Amino acid sequence: MSHEQTGYEFGELPIDPIEPGTSVFVAGPALSPAEDLARSMVAHGTSSGEGALFISTNMTCKTLLQSCERSDPGVDATRMGIIDCSGQDIGNAQLDAEVKYVSTQSDLTGIGMKFSALYESLYPAVRDGRVRTGLISLSSLSMYVDMRALFQFVQTLSGRIDSADGLGVFAIDPTTHDTKTVNTLSQAADGRIEVREPEEGDDEGELRVRGLPNQPNGWQSFTLA
Amino acid sequence: MTYRILCVDPDEGDRTEAVERLREELADLDPVFQTADDLASATEALTQHTAVVVTEYDLPDGNGFQVIEQANERCPDAGVILYTDTDPDLIDTAELRGAVTEYVGKDSVFGTERLAELVRTTVEERTQSSYPLPQTEDERLAALHSYDLDEPALLDSLDRITDLAAEHFDVEQASINIISEHSQDFLACYGRAEQWESMDREDSICTFTILEEDNVMTVPDVTEDPRFESRSETLIEMGIRSYMGANLVAPSGLVIGPLCVYDTEPRSFSAADEAYLQKLAATAMDLIDLHGRLDATTEGKG
Repeated sequence: MSHEQTGYEFGELPIDPIEPGTSVFVAGPALSPAEDLARSMVAHGTSSGEGALFISTNMTCKTLLQSCERSDPGVDATRMGIIDCSGQDIGNAQLDAEVKYVSTQSDLTGIGMKFSALYESLYPAVRDGRVRTGLISLSSLSMYVDMRALFQFVQTLSGRIDSADGLGVFAIDPTTHDTKTVNTLSQAADGRIEVREPEEGDDEGELRVRGLPNQPNGWQSFTLA
Repeated sequence: MTYRILCVDPDEGDRTEAVERLREELADLDPVFQTADDLASATEALTQHTAVVVTEYDLPDGNGFQVIEQANERCPDAGVILYTDTDPDLIDTAELRGAVTEYVGKDSVFGTERLAELVRTTVEERTQSSYPLPQTEDERLAALHSYDLDEPALLDSLDRITDLAAEHFDVEQASINIISEHSQDFLACYGRAEQWESMDREDSICTFTILEEDNVMTVPDVTEDPRFESRSETLIEMGIRSYMGANLVAPSGLVIGPLCVYDTEPRSFSAADEAYLQKLAATAMDLIDLHGRLDATTEGKG
C-alpha cells in the first residue's frame, strides 16, 4: 500500500494527474455539471483496471451506474462498489457493481463501516490496489447531520483514502452552505476543483483547480462524453 | 509524545496477536498498549490521554459500540476502530449513527497490516477529530510548551489585560485561553469566567479562532453559527451567546491561544473592535514572551 504509485489520470478532462492519497472537493452550484464531473473523475479509472467506490446520497445505485455509463461508455461496473444511501428500494436489480445499502443518510456509522468493508473488498481485485472514492454529495448529507459530525466524517474518509494511497472526490454545492461551513469542511481535503457553467459556447462546463500542485492555471473548458 | 492504544477483545489469543503486530508495525512510534477483555475493564482503562481504541464488536458484557460511546465521553479526541469478526451487514448501526468509526475485518486480506496503517494515520493525523487542526499543529504545541505559564507575576499581568478587555467591551466575561493538544485551558479570567475549568477542545470556540489567517474571529450568535449551534445550549449556560477572540501570536508566528470577550446577548463587532482586541492580545503575548526571556536570562546568570 505504501509503494510508489503514479498519479490518478482523467482522460480528456483538463486535469493533470493527481497524486495518490489526495482528496479534493468538486464544488459547483446545482445547475452546474459539478456532480457529473465528480462521477466521471471517479468512474474513469475502471476502464484501466482501477476500482471506483461511490457513496451515493441522492441517486439509487442503478441510476448512478446509468449516469456513469452515459458519461463514459468504457466504464467497467465490475470494478465498482456503491453505498446506496438514497433510501429508495430498487428491488432485486441485477447489477455488476457490488452494492451495500444504508437506509438513511443520518447513519454515518453505517456509511463509514460499509465504506471500509467495500474498500477492502475492492482493493485486492483492482490494479495495484488503486481505488477512487466519490462522495456525491456532501451537501445532501449536510441536511441530515450537523456540520461538526459531517466534518469528522469527511476527515476520517480522507484519512482512510490517504493511508491507502487512493483518490477522494467529494462533491459539494457551495451555494447551499454558508462560508464558514464550506471553509471548515474544505480543511478535510487537499484541494478544490471549482465548476461553473460556460460563459459561451457548446462546452459542458468550466473548471478551475485550486490548492493542488502541477495543475493548469485559470478556468478550463471541459466536455463529458 | 506518548501514544496510548487500548485493545479490547475477549479472545486472549486475538488480543495478544493484535498488540504484538501493532507493537512491531508501529515500533517507531513507541506506543503504550493497554488491554481489556470486556466493556467494564475497557471503560476503566480509558483516560483523556487514550489516542486510539481498537475494539471487537461482541463483548461478554456489551458491545464495541458501547466502548466507543464511553471513549467519546472520556477521550473525545481518540480515534476508534472496530476490529472484528462480525460482518458489518449484521451490525445494527442505528444506536451509534451520529458517531464515526473505522472498521477493519479480522479476516481482511490486509489483516493487521491494514489495522496498523489505520492506527498510524489516526494518531499522527488525528483524522477522527471533529475540528480542523492548524497545519503547523506540532510546531504550535511546541511553541506553547516552551513558555512557563504558571508564574504568578505573569498571571497577575494577564488578569489586568482581561479586566481591560471586559471594561472596554462592556462584557461580564473575558479570558485568555491556551489551546493544548486535547483541551482549552484558561490562563487569565475576568468575571464568571474565573469559575471555568479546562474544557475539551472539541467543545471550544477558540480551537477555530487559532485557525484564522487574520488572527481574529467573531461569532455574533452561537445559535446561528453552524460550527457551534450543536453545542450552543452549553455555551449559553456559560454566558456565551456572542464571542470575539484575537490570537496571541508568538514571535515565531505560531498561535498559542486567543484573548476572548463574551457577551450574553447576540452582538456584532466592528472592525475597530477587532483591531482593539488584537492590540490587547499582542500586549498579552509580549508579556508572556518577555517573562520567558527574563526567566532565561535569570537562569543564565544563576
